[in-house]
Amino acid sequence: MSIIKNEKDYKGKLVAAVKKEVKQVMEESVTRKFVHEESGSVTSLCGAVEACLSQGLRRRALGLFKTSSTTALLHKIAKHSEEAANISRKVQDIESSDPNRKSSSSSDSLTLKKNLSVQSAGPPAAPKYLWIRLALFEKQLAKIIDYLVTNAGKYYDKDAVVADSDYGTILSSLLVGPCALDYTRTKTQDHFWTDPPADELLQRHRISSGHSTPPSARRPMLNFRRSLNTSAEDSTNNRTSTSHYAKDYVESLHQNSRATLLFGKNNVLVLPVNAPGTDPLPGYLSLHQSAHNLTIKWTPNQLMNGFAEEVQDKSVYWDYALQVRMDEIVYVHCHQDAESGGTIILVGQDGVQRPPILFPKGGHMLSFLSCIETGLLPRGRLDPPLWSQHSGVSTSARKKRPLPAITETTKDYVFRIIDNADKEILKRNELLDTKTPLPSRVRVQLASSSTSSESSTKSFSIDAQPAPESPPSVCIKAVCDSMKRQIISRAFYGWLAYCRHLSTVRTHLSGLVNWNIINGDGADEGITVQKWSELCVEGVVKDSNEVFRLAYFGGVANELRMEIWPYLLRHYKFGSNIAERNRLNEETRLAYENRLSEWLAVEAIVKQRDKECQAIAIAKLSSDSVSVDQLPQMQRDLSNEVFEAESAYPLHNSFSNEEDEHDFSIHHNVIVTDASVDIPSGGSEVNLRHPSLNSVNEEERHDNCLETHGLISSTGVSPVSSNGGIYTVDLLNDFGEILHKIEKDVQRCDRNHWYFAGENLDKLRNIMCTYAWEHMHIGYMQGMCDLVAPLLVMFDDESLTYACFCHLMERMIDNFPYGNAMDCNFANMRSLVQILDSEMYELMLGQRDNTHFYFCYRWFMLDFKRELLYPDIFSTWEVIWAAQRVASNHFVLFLAMAMLETYRDVILSNSMDFTDIIKFFNEMAERHDAAATLRLARDLVMQLQLLIENK
Amino acid sequence: MASNKKILLKVVILGDSGVGKTSLMNQYITKKFSNQYKATIGADFLTKELIVDDRAVTMQIWDTAGQERFQSLGVAFYRGADCCVLVFDVTAPNTFKSLDSWRDEFLIQASPREPENFPFVLLGNKVDLEPRGISTKRAQQWCQSKNNIPYFETSAKEALNVEQAFQCIARNALSQQNQNDDLYNEFPDQIKLSQPSKSSGSGDSCAC
Repeated sequence: MSIIKNEKDYKGKLVAAVKKEVKQVMEESVTRKFVHEESGSVTSLCGAVEACLSQGLRRRALGLFKTSSTTALLHKIAKHSEEAANISRKVQDIESSDPNRKSSSSSDSLTLKKNLSVQSAGPPAAPKYLWIRLALFEKQLAKIIDYLVTNAGKYYDKDAVVADSDYGTILSSLLVGPCALDYTRTKTQDHFWTDPPADELLQRHRISSGHSTPPSARRPMLNFRRSLNTSAEDSTNNRTSTSHYAKDYVESLHQNSRATLLFGKNNVLVLPVNAPGTDPLPGYLSLHQSAHNLTIKWTPNQLMNGFAEEVQDKSVYWDYALQVRMDEIVYVHCHQDAESGGTIILVGQDGVQRPPILFPKGGHMLSFLSCIETGLLPRGRLDPPLWSQHSGVSTSARKKRPLPAITETTKDYVFRIIDNADKEILKRNELLDTKTPLPSRVRVQLASSSTSSESSTKSFSIDAQPAPESPPSVCIKAVCDSMKRQIISRAFYGWLAYCRHLSTVRTHLSGLVNWNIINGDGADEGITVQKWSELCVEGVVKDSNEVFRLAYFGGVANELRMEIWPYLLRHYKFGSNIAERNRLNEETRLAYENRLSEWLAVEAIVKQRDKECQAIAIAKLSSDSVSVDQLPQMQRDLSNEVFEAESAYPLHNSFSNEEDEHDFSIHHNVIVTDASVDIPSGGSEVNLRHPSLNSVNEEERHDNCLETHGLISSTGVSPVSSNGGIYTVDLLNDFGEILHKIEKDVQRCDRNHWYFAGENLDKLRNIMCTYAWEHMHIGYMQGMCDLVAPLLVMFDDESLTYACFCHLMERMIDNFPYGNAMDCNFANMRSLVQILDSEMYELMLGQRDNTHFYFCYRWFMLDFKRELLYPDIFSTWEVIWAAQRVASNHFVLFLAMAMLETYRDVILSNSMDFTDIIKFFNEMAERHDAAATLRLARDLVMQLQLLIENK
Repeated sequence: MASNKKILLKVVILGDSGVGKTSLMNQYITKKFSNQYKATIGADFLTKELIVDDRAVTMQIWDTAGQERFQSLGVAFYRGADCCVLVFDVTAPNTFKSLDSWRDEFLIQASPREPENFPFVLLGNKVDLEPRGISTKRAQQWCQSKNNIPYFETSAKEALNVEQAFQCIARNALSQQNQNDDLYNEFPDQIKLSQPSKSSGSGDSCAC
């Protein structure tokens, strides 16, 4: 007995699994507009079908012994079924085209197969349901299974799912839906994975909507929850809007976050009122429960996804579709007759009948009614109740009895829908109205408990509700009152939201822009050669405001950048003359070369040490491989450090330290008597590359060394040797590490740019090392190279680049790790998005900790350097620099905002989460329209300035 | 047996700057090697769909910046990871030395439920280059001391062992996820993770 029950359970589970996968695939087809052949859900569905088909298969009787007996089964039934023969031939074609896979195993297609064969180590992977897949793509699967079900006796045991009288039919009918879908494999192998690349997203966006919704800028957040595709523009009568509408509509038929799907049945017949002369149309009937009401929807099959025949004009069917709100319905008439499954007619408050709904046979009407009954609770109910209860005494005697004669002969019923809640309210109002006016407390309660959307529907339902107990005048009075309340509360909430909005603007954003608005009249051209000749009188530039203004609104002509950038970066002073600037240049160069010589000396030592370490490491490695087996296990397991860490200190002439291997807390001093002499290889190289170094005064250099040394050495070791600089081991270690990092990154920095093809990388490296040497507390951090590179490309002058870079870093350093600017940036972005694009804010609200803004990380850290091509970097950077004086200290925020707004529709329509956005923007790098983004960013600054000014 | 829901495996690649994290990820996914990669700033990820033990999974591979060591980017990147891939450069002993700290920091930041059993995979990259700084034995010993982490010696440049390594990574990530939601398994056929066949690649000691 229990075994039978278990088997029943098991079969139920098998079918349930298929059902689940079917649902998954159908959902995918709706949400993604297509199903990829290699989608995971297709594989899962095939797997579930395979499981059903293999269960209870009469392998022995049929002589099926292969691993995948269902494939053999297919070949077997091919003799009798045309569809099966077709698929069977295709399976054999594919298998014979690939001799490696003679068995029925592995994947469906050549591309997938290639991937799999690479991925799976060893023997080919388990069956990947080749024939089921093929049958599905060829839309034959349902028919084949239908054949199997009808002829189950031949192939299956009695207790198999397929042979089961109920489950068999369910199984075959379940697959009708997926068989109606179109499966594509339009993507190339490179795009094997499911996430669409940025390109595809943009393309899809362009196709799906020729127009873009403008950013909902400066709109108080009154109308959040505006749905994405039904904004005002879309509701016009053009072609795209109907397709939008259709997509939305079909999506609304599924279970979603806003409404629960209580009931769904296909092939329910309805005779549309506005289609005289036609036969009842089959369609999909569904019952949806949202927070506030219950809705019955009926959609003609012609509008459903995957409808086989191509319907020329679907619009007429849209007129047929039904959408009935249960709160408009008063009576439900049920007619039962012997031939069909029953008819339901809904009668509205106005007494008008809705089109009759004809159910197919099989108790669907009863289950529909019971779903309605459940859906109405707790606010309403059916009268008389569908499930009446015997008033038995003992609980065992109390059993649910379906409506008396619903299973019996033809009989008609009428149910009234009673709205409990409304009646209560009405009763209370009636009570109150006849005596005293509504106490203010109750009134407030009523108003505050209803949200705006709910209240509007409520009010109308009250309006039309026939309430025989109360006289109509009371009714109308109640309605007027409640409407008044709603209008007032709506206005109040609107005002409140606007006030909050403005207070956010003031508290968070007022610091982001300069308060006085500078207009860009006549500055569109930027600083042209002619403008510059007017501004730069005899080599003196006085009008700094005008320079910044022009640069901000129009950029700088390329040939002038070398001259003007140092001004923008505050290296040159406005008002300085040529002689002063030349002197400054000369000083800069000398200082730079001094620094250079200092660290080059240290580098030489570091290099020497490295060389020796490596030699030791290699020696040890070779001995290691020989002796490692003889070493006691314990000893090796415990020692975790690497050889060079414990290696002896380089035995250089003056480095006489015998390292204590495990005690690094002792500070060793390395005395350099004379770097350029003592370190032959490194030193001579230095001299060759930098002949200017020889001119540097030896004395001065030592002083510098000590000076720097005193600053940086936290170890307190600074004994001065009369004939050389002293470097602590810590310093050498630190700087050595920095050098390595710089080396790695310089090699990788923009190596596809022509400028860095040759020895210019050395210049980049020199600047980087000099900066790190002079700022040992900062050192080198990844990203610095990216900031130096454009400057170097522009100036092609080490010392000038270095000086400008130092100025640039004053602003940028806080964005690097250890600085706190990045968090501020994210927080500011959050506020900006909130103010400038409330819809986007809704999307990003989920992440409380600003996680959503990590896609901006690289933008802020590098001033968009990685996002743009070189010419665009130039034009963007100068605007950022100029913006500090003209419009905003945080112009990058507005650039980021502009970037976001440029792609807002793509982001919103795909509801991208933070990982999606990161991926999208990473793929979009170097493909943005910089000029348009800059324009938009300036507009956004202006918007915020106006908003603040207009208090 | 196919699973009911779509499986997303989150894999994080960590290791010192310049050991080849980006190259490994790109080699695995696009089957190409480029010497044009720039130093990663922030984080990036790629996804790949693959079949692991008959189950279709989507692997989301996070490539991180080698230098940043968690300070700057939030733990969001590491939270919910199913497997952590540690990478070092076999020619650069320093990168091997920092493995411990990478591992520790990952465990602190991602705070997995059972840190002892959290799946790590170690990749020794750039085996195409000479001279070797870290011997295979050395790396294997380290792996043994850390609860038998699988170890692969790879070359992103020559696509050596990359595929095998990521198969192992996917499998370990999947088993990690299975352990986490074993309780919710409602399908009658339990998923049994078969012992992966040992790949014959050099230095391969996948013990998953």
